[in-house]
Amino acid sequence: MAVDAFVEGIGIAVSWPVIGWMVVGLLLGIILGALPGIGSPVGMAIVLPLTLPLDATSAIVLLAAIYSGAMFGGSIAAILINAPGTESAAATTLDGYPMAKNGLAKNALAIATTASALNGFLAAITLVLISPILIGVVLAFGSPEYFLLAILGISLITIVTQGSIVKGLVAGALGFMISTIGTGILSPTPRFTFGQFGLYDGISFVAALIGMFAFAEMMKLAAQDMIAESDVEMTGSIKDGVMTVFKYPKTTFKAGVIGMLIGMIPGSGATTSTFVAYAEEARSSAEDGFFGEGDPRGVIAPEGANNPTVSGSLVPTLSFGIPGSGSTAVLLGGLLMHGLQPGPTLFGDQLQITYALFISLFLGNIVIVLVGLSVIPYASRITELDTDIIIPVVVVLSFIGAYTLNQNWYDVGAVLALGVLGFYMVRYNYSVIAFVLGIVLGPIAEENFFRSLQISGGSYSIFFDPINRPLSFVLALATILIITGPFLKPRIDRALGRA
Amino acid sequence: MSIKDKRNQVTAEHVMLVVLLALSAVFLIEPIVSDYPDDARVFPQMTASVVFVGSLLLLVRNYLPDPLYTFVGESINITTSESASEHEEELTEREKEIERETGPKRTLGRKYGYEVNDTVFMMVAATLYFFVGWAAGFLFVTPFFVFGYTTWFRVRPLIGIGLAVASTIVVYLFIEFLILPLDRGAIFDFSPFLPTAFDSTVLVAGVI
Repeated sequence: MAVDAFVEGIGIAVSWPVIGWMVVGLLLGIILGALPGIGSPVGMAIVLPLTLPLDATSAIVLLAAIYSGAMFGGSIAAILINAPGTESAAATTLDGYPMAKNGLAKNALAIATTASALNGFLAAITLVLISPILIGVVLAFGSPEYFLLAILGISLITIVTQGSIVKGLVAGALGFMISTIGTGILSPTPRFTFGQFGLYDGISFVAALIGMFAFAEMMKLAAQDMIAESDVEMTGSIKDGVMTVFKYPKTTFKAGVIGMLIGMIPGSGATTSTFVAYAEEARSSAEDGFFGEGDPRGVIAPEGANNPTVSGSLVPTLSFGIPGSGSTAVLLGGLLMHGLQPGPTLFGDQLQITYALFISLFLGNIVIVLVGLSVIPYASRITELDTDIIIPVVVVLSFIGAYTLNQNWYDVGAVLALGVLGFYMVRYNYSVIAFVLGIVLGPIAEENFFRSLQISGGSYSIFFDPINRPLSFVLALATILIITGPFLKPRIDRALGRA
Repeated sequence: MSIKDKRNQVTAEHVMLVVLLALSAVFLIEPIVSDYPDDARVFPQMTASVVFVGSLLLLVRNYLPDPLYTFVGESINITTSESASEHEEELTEREKEIERETGPKRTLGRKYGYEVNDTVFMMVAATLYFFVGWAAGFLFVTPFFVFGYTTWFRVRPLIGIGLAVASTIVVYLFIEFLILPLDRGAIFDFSPFLPTAFDSTVLVAGVI
């Protein structure tokens, strides 16, 4: 069955208009990624409601292509103007910008293109290869496990993103809480609507995504000055840059593995993976390295890690509906908006769509190399756009996009209100991803919570039963350990005299 | 410490936490007041309890005893290695340096001696755009919002006009192709004044 689905997936991925949307998504992603302050989550959030008229596969391929393209696009601004287009490209500035200042701007951009695409290509193949294992794992999950997995996902996010664990839990629970506005899932009771018909359908999670990512980001951007003009000469050699990646196969491979593995951890995303890959390379090549002064390995490592993170983060997103980053949270929103349920369905009846997505990523990396290498001479122009031009356009698209969802003014109001909330949450280090995960997964978590209680006759022991539901017991235990572990470990060490 | 000193110590985070406390209190009480059935009540109350307790702990974290303060206020991170954190700190410092070098934006307000925070201006402008758009229809309000915003930040007038026209065309395309009533507001209906020149074929031809 998997082979049939794989063949069908290839057919879908190369069919028209899916392949067309993939190219459009990649180009859009490269441009959006190159604009500091925009990046993939913002771009994807704005585009999300516009995908409503598209079929599900085209929409998901378009969103994933924007994600993938933005990973490369982010490096353009990082290398040329020392301002990362996306957070994930921040590590690239450390050696990419010095390389450009040393007259090797074209080399640095070619290294970024090749490392990003090559590892993205390999990661997409890995994704296809490990999918049969994923299918087995996904099918072992029932209602209690899905509920506990949502809780585990939020708990994981709270500890992989820097900041207080309580802030993360509050953010996640707030997301769950907001998701309960509207008609009840199991009984048709209007909840927290206060007589407003516009609230009967609840707050659209797509509007929440637009508010949290696009509007909040624009508020942040409003305070920043005009995007800097490039002060480097577009000199160097594209060919030498491409060859440099193959000169350091170990660096490239290691970065890819780090990127894919970290991508699989919910909440960690490409910002973490690129810095870990950079730090690991700087550590292991400390003897002959000149990191921070334009060492090409300092560009290969983060760029080689960013695109595999896209593939890695698709694993928890598609298998269990637990996004690995802001961008995958939007992608998850896209899946749900188009009626695709992550989990057993995507790895069962709709396996061909999952494969089509993997194959699109695979093909997309070929397009990234072709487009990326050909835009290098003109790359600096993309970064010269003024933020004050971008902001009003994004605000207009955000409001109109939110209205398009259900023609409901409360959705537009939600963009505004949650945008302001998101701005302050980011400022005070509350996890926006945990909040978004809560709001997106809220209905799924609530439904599985009640189904579990129906199965157990109302007993909460179903979540902690090691004999009959060992998987659910393991998930519950993991959640408790994850939340308490970081605080208990030093105390246990101290008690045992190991500190 | 005087009340004035205490008031000066209040940050936007405190305000946000008080809002969360109030909101979660509503989610805890409303199901009881309105007598929701169990399957509609338990989950929201459960999540609201976490928000309520968590917000309360965060609000009073400076007054908590040590072990509890560590749990509430301490930052933890399991994936970022020490050297990666150092690099991130280095980068943040560099960003701050760039910010210091660039100085405040050129705005119309500053030109005439009015100091308005750029984020606050953006937020107020967007809020006005939302309410006036709701009242009178987004189609008619969009050009004013876009042109007004770009003018405030002293973007070249020609670019501002171009953007305003382009944004209005985008809104119009939404009306035409997705049949959205964005030309009608909840209070005012200016749609009869929509000029016939706004014909979709003319627009599409213009865009191409």
